[in-house]
Amino acid sequence: MKLINKLLAVTAFSVALVPGVVSADCGKTRLADFDWNSANVHTGIVQFVLEHGYGCEVETTRGSTTPIMAAHYDSQLDVVTELWYDNIVTAYDAVQAEGIIENIGINTPDSQQAFYVDRTTAEKYNIKSVLDMNNPEIAALFSDPEDPDKGRMVSCIGGWTCYTINAVKQRVYGLDKFYTNFDPGSSGALAAEIAGAFAKDRPIFTYYWAPTALMGKVDLVRLVEPPYDTDCWGAMMDVVEDMKANGADVYKPTCATEYKDMSLDKSVLTAWADTHPDETAFLRAYSIPTATVNKLLAFYEGEADGDMELLAIEYLSNNSEWKSWVSADVAANVSSAL
Amino acid sequence: MSSFFQKIFIMIRKLITYLTLPIIFIWLLITSFNSSRYKPDSAMELLTDASWLYDWPRWLDLPLMKWINDWFKVFNKKYGFYFEAINDFLLGAILSLKKFLIVLPWPLVIALVVAIVFFSSGRKLGTTVFVGICTFFIGFLHPRFWDKAIETTSIMIIGIIICIIIGIPLGIAMSRNTRVRNTVLPVLDLMQTIPSFCYLIPGIMLFGLGAVPAIIATVIYAVPPLVRLTDLGITLVDTEVIEAAEAFGASKKQKLLGVQLPLALPNIMQGINQCTMMALAMVVIASMIGTRGLGDEVLLGLQQLNVGKATEAGLAIVLLAIVLDRITQAYGKKIQDRNKPPK
Repeated sequence: MKLINKLLAVTAFSVALVPGVVSADCGKTRLADFDWNSANVHTGIVQFVLEHGYGCEVETTRGSTTPIMAAHYDSQLDVVTELWYDNIVTAYDAVQAEGIIENIGINTPDSQQAFYVDRTTAEKYNIKSVLDMNNPEIAALFSDPEDPDKGRMVSCIGGWTCYTINAVKQRVYGLDKFYTNFDPGSSGALAAEIAGAFAKDRPIFTYYWAPTALMGKVDLVRLVEPPYDTDCWGAMMDVVEDMKANGADVYKPTCATEYKDMSLDKSVLTAWADTHPDETAFLRAYSIPTATVNKLLAFYEGEADGDMELLAIEYLSNNSEWKSWVSADVAANVSSAL
Repeated sequence: MSSFFQKIFIMIRKLITYLTLPIIFIWLLITSFNSSRYKPDSAMELLTDASWLYDWPRWLDLPLMKWINDWFKVFNKKYGFYFEAINDFLLGAILSLKKFLIVLPWPLVIALVVAIVFFSSGRKLGTTVFVGICTFFIGFLHPRFWDKAIETTSIMIIGIIICIIIGIPLGIAMSRNTRVRNTVLPVLDLMQTIPSFCYLIPGIMLFGLGAVPAIIATVIYAVPPLVRLTDLGITLVDTEVIEAAEAFGASKKQKLLGVQLPLALPNIMQGINQCTMMALAMVVIASMIGTRGLGDEVLLGLQQLNVGKATEAGLAIVLLAIVLDRITQAYGKKIQDRNKPPK
């Protein structure tokens, strides 16, 4: 047995010496993936680069947040390519303090939640901020067929916190006089409504979020709101929580601010990072702009039909920013595999 | 001689029928293979590597999704305008009905329901009191439910009217012509089994969010029992009665309107009753596409993990179902009693 191990080690060593051949010292890497599409996009790209650029043997495990993060905290998964850090701060920081894992920075600069208007309408009527919407003539463009005196603002899904947040924002901004806070009922219906409006070139005023595949397909303009402010957000959330518990009648005037843009991060096991400095350097540098992620999501759900490898090839062949994240020979290895 | 030609003609027709299906099948195989991104490098690979026999090969994939998406995109762009016109018309009907019902004071609505049940059931006191209490309890469960129940009812009424307009003539056509029946029956099966979300999402893209795609979905889901029961009711009419009508020289139209339809009426009423019940089953799903009504109370309870709220709203839907069921059922029963030969 020992003899075989030695033999293997010798072969590995000799392979590593041959120039231009993928180094085999990366070994087995366990990649975490989640059951939503933006995580699949990043995992697909990272997996492709690790496999073809660094010669890693990648094993990907997909699951929902709780089990995957538990496995990561337990040192069973080496790399997490999309970490919703803001949602799990407490649990994550505790493990990070023990030195088991490390947050290695941003993978997508910001996830956005905001109010949007389609670009054609926004440019035609020069709409830039939510306050520009406070105009009966503009409200008439988005007329709500069920309540023709008002415009329709397609809002968040009823029962979700963002629905109540939007209701409060509407009142603070004065939008409630001109627009209904229309509950689309489900996220599928909300996406279909936006896609339908674009298919028919109909003006639309809606709440939505990114990164999403839909955002890669349609051209929505984000409306400016007062910049994010922690105190103001806190005051607004007090009113929101009160309204969620006791109904819309308990509304009190408050201030309002835009949704906080959350950054999505990456995380690695410190033990893995110590033995894989080059790979970790690549992961640290890895970051894709939100607009590109939206486009990739649209490709992933549409043409690629859920094929992560095809998606990685699409991204790596049509963009060059990734070449600065890796050394020249790794980039050459990846390029030759495309 | 002519029978010989007829035989040849029938044989050719059979041959064509038996040949077209395999040809279509082979054509589908070839197109799916050609459009696939995962073609094997050569046919030899299939012989040497047998792994494609164990896992379904990726090149054996009908690109139906792409076809539907491409077709729908063009269709929506070209004809979306007409659907918006339909949307405005139906929404107008629902809104005016709703406005009319909401303006009425609630005791008057309850009194109206009680009066309708009293006369349609043939003055049965027990049923009438029971339905009156059920109607009262809808608002009694939660004051907010009253307006929501009226919204749901207006959507249901419009939906059922469309069902009747489509369903009864279709059922009559089916009972008179076997070819119509043979084409319509599989379509009805499809309508009853295809998951409603398959047509809800394109419905939203065509009509926009709200009540109208919900009504279309309700009609698709609820019209089959009405069609089937109308067909059944007319088919079940005694042949002797029809022969008697024919003996008196009744025309086809007279036979239908004077004999078959009246005798089939209990079955048709049963169909309308089933149609109503199935339409109510769609209420919660309808609320998932932005339809206001009792359904969104259930959905809200679900999304807030509020068991009490969801149950309360669910009970209100059941009460509404009981009221509508009693009204349609009682009327059907009354006709049935009237049609019975005197003992």
